[in-house]
Amino acid sequence: MRAKTLALLTLIAFGVLFFAACGDDDDSGGAAASASNTPPAVATTATDAASETRPAQIGGEMILATTTSTQDSGLLDVLVPMFKDQTGVNVKVIAVGTGASLEMGAKGDADAVLVHAPASEKKYVDNGDLVEGQLVMHNDFVIVGPSADPAGIRGEKDLATTMQALAEAGGFISRGDDSGTHKKELELWKAADIDPATVNAREETGQGMGATLNVANQRQAYTLTDRGTFLALRDGFDLEVLFEGEKTLLNVYSVYLVNPEKHSAVKVEQARAWIAFLVAPETQALIGDFKKAEYGEPLFTPDAGKSLEDLGS
Amino acid sequence: MGAAAPGPVNDIRCEQLRFARGRQLVLDIPALRFAQGRVTALVGPNGSGKSTLLRLISALERPTAGRVLIDGNAVTPKLVREAVAYAFQAPVFVTGSVASNLDLALRLRHVPAAERESRIREAAAACGIEPLLHRDARRLSGGESQRANLARALALRAPVTLLDEPLAGLDAPGRRQLLHDLPRLLRQFASTTIVVTHDRDEALRLADEMVVLIGGRVRAAGSRAGVFARPPDAATARFLGYTIIPTKDGGVVAIAPRVLRAAPGDVPFVMDVEDVLDLGIRREAWGTIAGVQVSVSLPPGEGELPPRIEVSAPTGAVLRFEAGGEL
Amino acid sequence: MEAIWEGFREAIRLIATGDPELREIALRTVVVSGSATLLAMMVGVPTGYALARGRFPGRTLALGVVNTGMGVPPVVAGLVVWLLLVRSGPFGEMELIYTKRAMVIAQFLISLPLVVGFTTAAVQALPRELPDLLAVLGAGRLRTLWLIAREAQIGILAAVIAGFGSVISEVGASMTVGGNLRGETRVLTTAIVTETSRGQNANAMALGLLLTWVQQRRVR
Repeated sequence: MRAKTLALLTLIAFGVLFFAACGDDDDSGGAAASASNTPPAVATTATDAASETRPAQIGGEMILATTTSTQDSGLLDVLVPMFKDQTGVNVKVIAVGTGASLEMGAKGDADAVLVHAPASEKKYVDNGDLVEGQLVMHNDFVIVGPSADPAGIRGEKDLATTMQALAEAGGFISRGDDSGTHKKELELWKAADIDPATVNAREETGQGMGATLNVANQRQAYTLTDRGTFLALRDGFDLEVLFEGEKTLLNVYSVYLVNPEKHSAVKVEQARAWIAFLVAPETQALIGDFKKAEYGEPLFTPDAGKSLEDLGS
Repeated sequence: MGAAAPGPVNDIRCEQLRFARGRQLVLDIPALRFAQGRVTALVGPNGSGKSTLLRLISALERPTAGRVLIDGNAVTPKLVREAVAYAFQAPVFVTGSVASNLDLALRLRHVPAAERESRIREAAAACGIEPLLHRDARRLSGGESQRANLARALALRAPVTLLDEPLAGLDAPGRRQLLHDLPRLLRQFASTTIVVTHDRDEALRLADEMVVLIGGRVRAAGSRAGVFARPPDAATARFLGYTIIPTKDGGVVAIAPRVLRAAPGDVPFVMDVEDVLDLGIRREAWGTIAGVQVSVSLPPGEGELPPRIEVSAPTGAVLRFEAGGEL
Repeated sequence: MEAIWEGFREAIRLIATGDPELREIALRTVVVSGSATLLAMMVGVPTGYALARGRFPGRTLALGVVNTGMGVPPVVAGLVVWLLLVRSGPFGEMELIYTKRAMVIAQFLISLPLVVGFTTAAVQALPRELPDLLAVLGAGRLRTLWLIAREAQIGILAAVIAGFGSVISEVGASMTVGGNLRGETRVLTTAIVTETSRGQNANAMALGLLLTWVQQRRVR
């Protein structure tokens, strides 16, 4: 009987302790996210950059809504800690689909939005939901497929011909999740005047890029992917780039501030600092170097200061 | 007076007591008294409301109307906590040894530690469960758990003790033994006691007083002998073991439990009038007893029954007016 | 097949070398799910007890709610909590979204119906006469609660285990309200999703093994 009381008290004590431990998120259960899963990128550039005109230490937190492919590329795993070092701001990266990110911005559930679907973004900009937008970088989409290339698109330069060949002879895996990639894919079919619903061998996974590539790999079929994700994951797959370079395949990343006049809870200071950070020269240089050593080619091309027209999109 | 009954009068009284479950009236008792210090057998068929009455006396249920008084005080959970010991028909124990179960009961009654030990030993010895004290209370045999249940109730030495079928579930030898011991135990530990039973033998052996409850109503109450000798109606008589024979003119005759043998040729035979009860208008009665057609004829006239009555049966018939058996 | 074997090897390596991020994630998983279950226990066991024993108006309704709650998919619970805590929601100002506290809240709501339901069943399974016995003997309300809980302790323990099991293996709600933020709200289940979606099957496997191990340890 005594033992039971003791056990109960211990349990309650633990309970109080636990809940208290869940309180702080700034010095949370793990110290710095020292990665074993993601190798740190170009560290040297960061230290050099740190010695110049320093943005003020603002501190605080902000929510960044972005896409899964952006997060999967690993770039944010480098940029976010760097930003925190410089400004003390803790960025909570919420990676959902393009549609959801934009909606989060519209509803004020995020402070900044980083997406890559200019056509969709336009609506929100026109609406005044997203303001102070800046081009950050671009990468491109590529169509990858099995080395055997049953649809014979390797080397083909024309978009319509390629899409036609895929409709007839390829298996094609679509993300089907309303993401930027998905929307780009639909654009491609449209440009070739093909209704994707009529393509028999096309399947939609409804999932992120990594998972979709997985399926394409399993089925030895084709899919549209951003180069970044593919480069990051290609070692695990039996696929190669078979169509690239076409102007429609450009994937342009922009960052926006969620309009503080529409949503008073927006962390304006932090979000503006983040945007400034992304277009700052050192950061841009870093973006241009990201993963270059590892993959032999850069993942992204920094674009700060340019406009959409400049990129021919 | 028993050793366990201190000062106050601990009688139990029911006044205008009614208990309904939903629409159905389960108990309807205008007035009933269980005498102080006596053992009363509460008997009746299944479903007659005996357990309900016990639950009302122990404040486990609240009356729909009327009240129950112990020693003039209305029954409340608080009063019950101090004054009532109730042994359920199906013994229930908590996890632990028999001794710890008894100890728990005494602790809940605020009996100081030193006294608890002696009381446990005393009750255990009296009920013959001393060797069982350290056994897991939930692993006892039927007879053992009945005795442990009883010991727990008796150890409380409460002014009011309620026993619900204390001999239920015992095999014949166990029953015999406990039936033999119980009167002494009650005298030693209990004061005012109500024993619910459906067995005539138990009622006869254990109780001084008897209350017959049928269909939620008290049919008879009083001394054991009195109730047995004078059941007020056919239902009660049947319940007490009488054989009921309807008469030609719409009445009934009840014949007390006994066995009569009509030897070949020994027909008709006669019965003493004590064994025959007149419960209605009749001159002649006939019916079937144990498959045998009998007729009872009573001499014509009004008023008292003659001292002897003829019972006719076919030659060689054996008439059993059952003694003992179910109440 | 190759992938599984390779994953297994990587898993052992990560666990054996005490990989710090893995440990951090595992610890956080236990802390979050543990707190949620503990809270569910502190609220749920007395509630289950009251539902089993009490007679009050609306009891049938309450029992119905508990039963429904048990069948609600965790991801739906997560969605509801997300809608409540997100900035544009009613409790947005509390800035709880994407924090461990939010995950504890969601997991608490997921495990609570299980704890209540199983506790109610455990108490109801006790002999009917037990509460009567305790009442007549004179046990006060608190004493009765203690004794009955003691009698039903095995069933109550099962309730808590069921509650814990339901949240430690849950991914939908944790993902939605926690955001799977590295170093902050990433737990074993959400980490598995991340690794899988990145094609890092070996890492996912390691996390999966660790998750299974953690669950078994806690149950014991």
